Amino acid sequence: MQILALCLKRTATALLTLLLVSLIVFVAVEIIPGDAATRVAGRDATEETLEVLRQRMHLDLPPAERYLTWLGGVVTGQFGDVLTSGRSVVEILAPRVVNTLILSGIALAIYFPLVLIPAIFQAVRRDRAADHALSTITLVLLSIPDFVLATFLLLLFAVVIPIFPAMSTIDERSTFFDIVNVSIMPAVTLAIVMAVYAVRMLREGLIDVLDADFVRMARLKGLSQRRVLLRHALPNAVVPTLNVTALNLAYLIGGVVVVERVFSFPGFGSLIVDSLKLLDAPLIQATVLLASAVYIGANLAVDIMAILLNPRLRKG
Amino acid sequence: MADASATTMARAGAESRLTRARRFWSAAPSAFRIGAIILAIHILLALIGWVWTPYDYVARVGIPLSGMSWEHPFGIDQNARDIFSRVLYGGHIVILLSVSGTLLGVVVGAALGLTSGYLGGWFDEAMMRLFDAFNSIPFLVLALLASAVAGPVASGEPLLLVGVVALVYAPRVGRIARGAAQTVAIQDYVMVARLRRERVRDVVRREILPNCSGPLLVEFALRAGYAPVLIGSLGFLGFGVRAPLPEWGRMIAENRNLIFTTPEALLAPGIALATLVVGLNLFTDGIARLIGRSTPHAGA
Repeated sequence: MQILALCLKRTATALLTLLLVSLIVFVAVEIIPGDAATRVAGRDATEETLEVLRQRMHLDLPPAERYLTWLGGVVTGQFGDVLTSGRSVVEILAPRVVNTLILSGIALAIYFPLVLIPAIFQAVRRDRAADHALSTITLVLLSIPDFVLATFLLLLFAVVIPIFPAMSTIDERSTFFDIVNVSIMPAVTLAIVMAVYAVRMLREGLIDVLDADFVRMARLKGLSQRRVLLRHALPNAVVPTLNVTALNLAYLIGGVVVVERVFSFPGFGSLIVDSLKLLDAPLIQATVLLASAVYIGANLAVDIMAILLNPRLRKG
Repeated sequence: MADASATTMARAGAESRLTRARRFWSAAPSAFRIGAIILAIHILLALIGWVWTPYDYVARVGIPLSGMSWEHPFGIDQNARDIFSRVLYGGHIVILLSVSGTLLGVVVGAALGLTSGYLGGWFDEAMMRLFDAFNSIPFLVLALLASAVAGPVASGEPLLLVGVVALVYAPRVGRIARGAAQTVAIQDYVMVARLRRERVRDVVRREILPNCSGPLLVEFALRAGYAPVLIGSLGFLGFGVRAPLPEWGRMIAENRNLIFTTPEALLAPGIALATLVVGLNLFTDGIARLIGRSTPHAGA
């Protein structure tokens, strides 16, 4: 019962936070200098045109009423129409989100081996030359900003060793495999950025665990090195790394903004930048709210998992 | 005589300070020392670039894209400007914006967070919900949103960028400050101050703040270390300082289409930014270890 109550409370807090974010986003769009109707119709529009436009966009209503109307739409999955082309926000958003989901999926698929293999290798070869070399590499990679790393990788793979396309050219006619092909370079970049910190965490965790009595016991029992590592040490060292992975999921939402831009990948991240460049209010509201919702959802999932896994709460 | 003894004492004081500094230096973690050296070089170069560059950073000095030479070590960009001079001049822009933005963010965040942790109750609850809401918007998205909604007139102003960095950092620092203040707020001396009916502002400033300075210092160093990346990212995405100011992120964006012809035009600002962040990270890591705290994830 205690577990259920805790989960419900945590979910309620998350929903409240999301509501506050929607308010922040709405206020932010409100304070853009100038009138949305003028931005749509241009400077030369007559006062009558603007008046008609304002009425059509409901700009004549008080802000509180417009906020509630917008929020009601969001709850029922309607985000309105974009200012620039008159198409619905969902119609523009959906294909971009799909592209970014494919990108993130590939990035995560590369991420896990990229964390496990170097960390295990380093923990086993602790304090040898290879360990120090890898530690230095991860420290340097940790410090290179993601857009710089992406640019360097673009330089390396598209110019020096041209295997992958430098620019992502996909549209409605592209097949799934086209999208996968152009996703590989941005996905590798995202995976590296996410992995470096986790590698360092997992290495530390593994080294601590390898010194623990139960691991020594397992060794003394004559178990093979592989079995000691994978069955006894790794599961106990992986928990702090899971937290980092949750942080990394949060990073991924912001990271795609920059990385998609470097590779001109038509995903959700570049849509956020475009909507902000064009000051397209409905699109800004939808994209920023969605990005925050994913972040809040990921954190909620991690917290609930922690509550469920905590043995001290299990008896209730 | 009195004069002479005063001089001797002063010299002794100076010497002991020097030996203390030397002892501190040799006892410090090697990461801290390497970081401090990288940082010192960066600051020195930034100071030089501020007062002197081989060419003016906006001057047209030669044939565009004519490649690397002794006169132009990093080549010439498509607007015929010397890239070395631009990278050198960009140093103080990046460092000044990072430090002032972080400082403003830490001051605002600390003021709100410490007060919130000390007061508790509904004020604390409201502040926490507000901080959580701001922290739930991915920080780069929040930074982009803030710079975009400021409008075309304010966009590109260095002051706007300082405000944006502060806006992103204040709620994050606020959470840390609040946590630190909560542990201090239950101490006896704070109770006494509260019973003396001292004003909230005075208690926070005189009792809470001095006892939270450690975590706040680490927080400042950590955030300052990430600020160049944030500013560079904004510049790269076209929301940074106005052209023709050579902020490094901006330079990478504007030289992006030269990647096939003159990659050094991108490499130079990229390496400058990366080394600055490496130096800051090592330095922060060292400070945190000296104070006895582990550094949290910079991107979070």
